[in-house]
Amino acid sequence: MHTQARRVTRTDPLGAAARTRSAARTKTRAWPLALAILLTLGLIAASLLVGVADITDTSGGAEFLFITRIPRTIALVLAGASMAMAGLVMQLMTQNRFVEPTTVGTTEWAGLGLLLCYILFPVSSVFVKMLIAIVFAFLGTLVFFAFLRRVTLKSSLIVPIVGIMFGAVISSITTFLALQFDLLQVLGGWFMGSFTHIEIGRYEPLWVVLIAAVAVVVVADRFTVAGLGKDIATTVGLNYERVVLLGVGLVALVTGVVTVVIGSLPFLGLIVPNLVSMIRGDNLRSNIPWVFLTGIWVVTVCDLISRTVIMPFEVPISLVLGIIGAAVFIFMLLRARRTSAH
Amino acid sequence: MTSRRLLAACSLAIATAITLAGCSGSTTEDSSSAASGTANADYYPVTVTDMAGNEVTIESADSVAITDNRFFQVAADWDVPVTAAPLDLFSPQNPLAESTDILNIGTHSEPDFEQVVAADPDLIINGYRFSEENADGMQDAAPDAAFVDMNGPEGQPVDEYVTESLTLMGEVFNKQDEAEALIEDFHTAVDDAKASYDPETTVMGLVTTGKEINYSNPTDGRGSSIFFDLLDLTPALDASGSEGHMGDDISLEAIAGANADFFLVLDRSAAVSESAEDQSALELITASPSLANVPAVVNDAIYVMPGDYYLTEDVFAYIAVLDGLAESFPAK
Repeated sequence: MHTQARRVTRTDPLGAAARTRSAARTKTRAWPLALAILLTLGLIAASLLVGVADITDTSGGAEFLFITRIPRTIALVLAGASMAMAGLVMQLMTQNRFVEPTTVGTTEWAGLGLLLCYILFPVSSVFVKMLIAIVFAFLGTLVFFAFLRRVTLKSSLIVPIVGIMFGAVISSITTFLALQFDLLQVLGGWFMGSFTHIEIGRYEPLWVVLIAAVAVVVVADRFTVAGLGKDIATTVGLNYERVVLLGVGLVALVTGVVTVVIGSLPFLGLIVPNLVSMIRGDNLRSNIPWVFLTGIWVVTVCDLISRTVIMPFEVPISLVLGIIGAAVFIFMLLRARRTSAH
Repeated sequence: MTSRRLLAACSLAIATAITLAGCSGSTTEDSSSAASGTANADYYPVTVTDMAGNEVTIESADSVAITDNRFFQVAADWDVPVTAAPLDLFSPQNPLAESTDILNIGTHSEPDFEQVVAADPDLIINGYRFSEENADGMQDAAPDAAFVDMNGPEGQPVDEYVTESLTLMGEVFNKQDEAEALIEDFHTAVDDAKASYDPETTVMGLVTTGKEINYSNPTDGRGSSIFFDLLDLTPALDASGSEGHMGDDISLEAIAGANADFFLVLDRSAAVSESAEDQSALELITASPSLANVPAVVNDAIYVMPGDYYLTEDVFAYIAVLDGLAESFPAK
């Protein structure tokens, strides 16, 4: 592994096995992407058609197509794509494959911000709550990065463990405050990842993540270079600090918005980038559409499950994601061990 | 002795002194509250049958530990000498909530039984929030106290429970007349609400949190199911859900699809807001485009329960909601 400068962590075998294969096919074939887009459209169509109201009934049900169905599907697409992207950027910035916004405390910080907002400005609008959540997510992620730089722990498992511990500390502060102010149930309600309440007029803040997505696509190459580590990035003339700051800012923006509007979407940022690079290698620029699409697939499928299993009720999507995510994660871990044994 | 040891020893001594001072303080409080109980001295001992069917002999009620939130208000109104209670579960409206004489047990999730030991009650009124494990803890903390279980049999109708439990409380505290008056108030409220309800009106129970509207089922859902039971309301959607305190996650489409004529709403976030007249639950429902065509929203037929409802869930809360319903039901 030492010879391979681009990944300092030992988890790289995930991608290493695939890299030789993917190098041959990255450029030439366009049809897999076309097929993937087709699949995405199919899932979107399914998402539009499944639900309690009968949207083909023009006398009453059809209006729900615009009131809930389309907003919900847009929310799914935006949240899925952006959280997967946030995980990818996060993994590049920390040079660690087991990192994502929910394992470095970003989500917990967003929660702390939201709670403080409830305590200090109880009558504020959703917009203000979201803004404060984003600022906290940003600050918290920066603190994590500052900490990482200080200790320079590059062992693949230590980084997420530190992150999880960090998140746990923040989350216990949040819980303590919530207990003191009788807000625990409110907090639970906010962070239960769920699309049930999405309707026109309630999902619009999610469009903000589109800005982050565009920004990531534009500076994709810089993120890739930054992902090689500070030394290499600086050597090739990259302003490393600025790129990291930008990355953190985008992750915080996405996480803050999604956490406040939808709730926590566990594992998404972890499994999607890993799945993609397992199959396609590590080029951010060519991977990013795949990360977006896979993020959309995972969230849409989970949401379809969550809204049909106990109809007319729904299970929170965080529950479905948690189950599926954990299974995929364990599969990836086992696979990583097998490939590194070669 | 090193300076650190010395410091530790000193702080231990100080801590002990403070604790002792605290103890002596609480004993004086006990004796003062005991004085208020002497008026009843010749009433005790009394033997009652509690809600679980056990015969309990109460020797005296000079120091009472009460953990059933349904009787906190009753205890306040009847001047019961409460010495230990989970003050964190009290409604802010309850005059005892800020009491410094009552040792605070905390909440049912993390009860501090030491406070019960310190209070040394001779009577424990225990109810559903402090169930099984906590009930044992209460009994262990005060083994000599008479233990009155306020948990009625499974599936007991609400009106029966209210009547029986209040009669029992009246017997326990020698306040039979007050109990009877309260039971009468309750039945009047039930009758009034029934009189203004038209069975054609379909009703749906909802639970709202900061941003979500959930469903509360008519058989055992949190908040509204009691009133379906009491008033024979016609459910707009009769799907059996869970007893969960958050209600059941349900899509706005499904709520709209039930086409309810009336919404009965429990607002989970209400405890957060300082003002009693919090409108956020109402706003959440009326502002929703999905629900805009539902008759309940069109006709403004929405009743939001009092903010402290889920803290109290007592006869006073029932009467308040019943009165509120009687006023808000659409005219026949």
